[in-house]
Amino acid sequence: MRKAFFIIILWLPVTLFAQLNFIDLEAITISPEELKGKFKQEKFISDRAITLLSTGVFSYQRGKNILWKTLEPIENELIIVPSTIVNKQGGNELVHLDVNPTVRMINELFFFILTSEWRELSGLFELSGNLEHGIWTAELTPIDKTIALFSSRIALSGDTLLREITLYEKGGGFTKISFDKLSQ
Amino acid sequence: MTAKIINGSRFALALIWMLIVAVLALMAVTQNPDFDSSIMNLLPKSEQQPKVQLAINQVSERFSKRMILLFTSDDDNKAQLAVATMAEVLTELPDIANIKWQVNDEDMVQAQRELYPYRFSILDPSIRKHLLRNEFKPVQDRALLNLYSPLNTGRSSIIDDPFGLYSELNLNRKNNFNIQISNSLFKVIGVPTPTYMLTLTLAGESYSPSLQKRVLSVINLEKDKLNEKGVILTMSGLLLHTAAEAKQANHEIATVGLGSLLGIIIMILLVFRQFKPLVLMIVAVTIGCLTALSVTTLIFEQVHLITLVFGIGLVGVSIDYALHFLCERRNCSAKTIVNKILPGLTLGLFSSVMAYAAQALAPFPGLQQMAVFSVIGLCASWLTVILCFPLWTHNDSEKSLVAARILDRFRQSFPRIEDRPMMIGGILCACLLLALSTLSSGDYADDVRLLQSPAESLIGEEKKVQKYLNASGSSQFLVIQADDIEHCLQKEEQIRPVLEQLISDNLMGGYQSITSFLPSLQRQAENNHLVEQLYEQQLTPFYESIDLSVSDIVNAQKIMKQTMKQALTPEVWLSQENSSAWRDLIVRQVDRGAATTIHFTGKIDEAAVIILKQLSTKDKGIVFVDRIQNISDLIGGYRSEAVKLIALAYLGVIIVLFIRYKLQVWRIIFPPILASIFTLSTIVYLGYGINIFHLMALILVLGIGLDMGIFLIEIHKGAHTWLAASLSTYTSVLAFGLLVLSDTPVLHHFGLTVFLGLSFIWLLTPIMRGNNSRKAILQ
Repeated sequence: MRKAFFIIILWLPVTLFAQLNFIDLEAITISPEELKGKFKQEKFISDRAITLLSTGVFSYQRGKNILWKTLEPIENELIIVPSTIVNKQGGNELVHLDVNPTVRMINELFFFILTSEWRELSGLFELSGNLEHGIWTAELTPIDKTIALFSSRIALSGDTLLREITLYEKGGGFTKISFDKLSQ
Repeated sequence: MTAKIINGSRFALALIWMLIVAVLALMAVTQNPDFDSSIMNLLPKSEQQPKVQLAINQVSERFSKRMILLFTSDDDNKAQLAVATMAEVLTELPDIANIKWQVNDEDMVQAQRELYPYRFSILDPSIRKHLLRNEFKPVQDRALLNLYSPLNTGRSSIIDDPFGLYSELNLNRKNNFNIQISNSLFKVIGVPTPTYMLTLTLAGESYSPSLQKRVLSVINLEKDKLNEKGVILTMSGLLLHTAAEAKQANHEIATVGLGSLLGIIIMILLVFRQFKPLVLMIVAVTIGCLTALSVTTLIFEQVHLITLVFGIGLVGVSIDYALHFLCERRNCSAKTIVNKILPGLTLGLFSSVMAYAAQALAPFPGLQQMAVFSVIGLCASWLTVILCFPLWTHNDSEKSLVAARILDRFRQSFPRIEDRPMMIGGILCACLLLALSTLSSGDYADDVRLLQSPAESLIGEEKKVQKYLNASGSSQFLVIQADDIEHCLQKEEQIRPVLEQLISDNLMGGYQSITSFLPSLQRQAENNHLVEQLYEQQLTPFYESIDLSVSDIVNAQKIMKQTMKQALTPEVWLSQENSSAWRDLIVRQVDRGAATTIHFTGKIDEAAVIILKQLSTKDKGIVFVDRIQNISDLIGGYRSEAVKLIALAYLGVIIVLFIRYKLQVWRIIFPPILASIFTLSTIVYLGYGINIFHLMALILVLGIGLDMGIFLIEIHKGAHTWLAASLSTYTSVLAFGLLVLSDTPVLHHFGLTVFLGLSFIWLLTPIMRGNNSRKAILQ
């Protein structure tokens, strides 16, 4: 009996620290049709070793658009749809781009990550990660050669929702975004 | 003794003639003859300035040799695999010069970095607009926004390019097609199911039948395999059209040729009830065709397929001489027949040669080829009949034919205009008036597109590909000419605001100008100056806002000044990887000066065309080319030319005939004239516009019609002459008229005209007949 108990105890961590795959993630996370919340972004510029901090709010409608509103230190509103980026500042439209192929790819990627489209991502990345007490961390390594040209890896973590993204650039810089006060 | 000498010399002449035919055929065979099926090659070369012509050639070559293949499947992986498989199969074909289906990562990185040293010389248009207006702050704002954006868009170093001018340029740079790079492949965007693209360039001409066969057999085999796997292949390219057209033409030549041949054989056997006349006729016509083909091959390097179709039609005309000989032979001996029919045959030949030679005056290479073919063919057949037939029919009997008697009875029952001038004249006048009024309401149809008949399914695929890719067309573009490339670029930069205006007015989809990638040196210097001003005004506040130091400011400025020292010259640009897709915008092989082209994407409104045409009034070096319109205009021009040619042919024939027949000439001339008018009005009544091919067919009608009139007057034993005339009409209708069944518009219109024209002539000639006696007419 004691032996059996010991075996169960021994097995526990294994289930708690399970290796993660895209199917698991799809089961663990929820992908709401709409979501909003606050974000904090740290952008590390590698060539001068400076970090730019910014905060703001965001909201998305699955498959339609992402509204990315930076409030500090500058005010800026970014509307991302897969084919276009619109930059607004004080209600004035600043940039409207019919984006080129590479940018379109980056756009699409950001869309997939933010709205937890694991199925789409599974075609572009290899995933490694683990699950601990309902908190998962994952590292995406691009298998798509085009993505590999601008990003070496992407680190994600969350619970039922995505809580943090870190996009590592090829040149050594990175962008870390953490989410807070998420509500559907 | 004299008879022997005559016989001997006739024999010698016949032998010499046969030798000539054999030598010509041998010479032609050693040339390795090839057939051509491009309708464009039948049309005259454009009367453009040399540089514009070079540009036209370059553009049409690029488009004629390009093929686009799209692979669509619900399963993304399957579609990707399909592209790779097809590429692998096609790479092995020597007929394919190059295939583009994947992006080499190194090439892509290189292409992205190549222009980096010129980031202060080539500016994004919207940035440039701000700088020109001295709006420096918005540019700084934009750089700051990009810096804080969560999307990393390949931003360059904060010191080397603080305002991200290079990434702005890359960001806004549009692709040639609606394409995204996915897994190193070209993925079509904006479509519901995953679709990948493969483009290929043919090594040879897409008109070459052997190339068509080799390339398409490989593609179609693979297409079937892909279909089974659930991958749909959609294709676009001139090759597909030319292959389909050639297939159709070949099929029609086979069916129409065989149909007419069978019809002719059956009729001849029925009439003569012997095989020999049939064999003789076939020999005469074969020698005619063979000689025509040999001479045409020797003069023109390639014989056009349509020339060949008409060559087969030539059967209908050159068989006349054999028919007249063989019919008259039933009335007189082998000795006297040549003397008897020579004037008629010679005049017939003369009138036909006149009519065909008139075609040679039209500056259409195709018509010239046809004229040579028909004139040579006719002469050869005529010579064969005159020289060889008396020898070959030496011992034949003189027995009248049943068919001649029956047909003559029918003709005798035909009303004669001289018997009832009021009534028949009245009816003819009424018909003429009706025909003329129909004609006056008719229109012309010179649009070259009406003359081609691309298969519906091909058009569907073509449209789908164009829609998917937002590809540019090849028929309309601007050619910019100047002393050197630099000045071409400057001119393009000057007219670009006009084009931008057209886009914002929604009159034009878009355009491709080389200056988007390679600005003129003048423009590059101007851009450098604008960037200097931007640095002066905004670099300090920008760096301060992100906590960069004074030394960074100094450093950035130093790098900027250094970078500006090198300008992007055309030579450097052309050697770069990223210019590969755009090099064709520069016209190659220009002897003196330089030329570039601007292409359009999407639709162009009529109003835009007017504005684009006006550009050349300000600068003669800027020419708007509209190939379809140009060719249609040319066809229209030659249509009016053709009217003059026909009038000229008629006039020449009338003069010669008048010398021989005096006032009786109306009996010969009126039937073809009336038949021509009736034919044209019927065509208009059927709802077709008159085009040059109808008119050229009328020349043929004129030739055959005159033959008939001449023979009927020349040879007084009416029954057999009328039989010969009727048979020759019948054979011509079979040979040409059957073309009315063709799906190739050119052939269909030609056939329709001949069919109607000959039918009218056959009905009108007996009405105008004389008293059945040559003496009576000539007196």
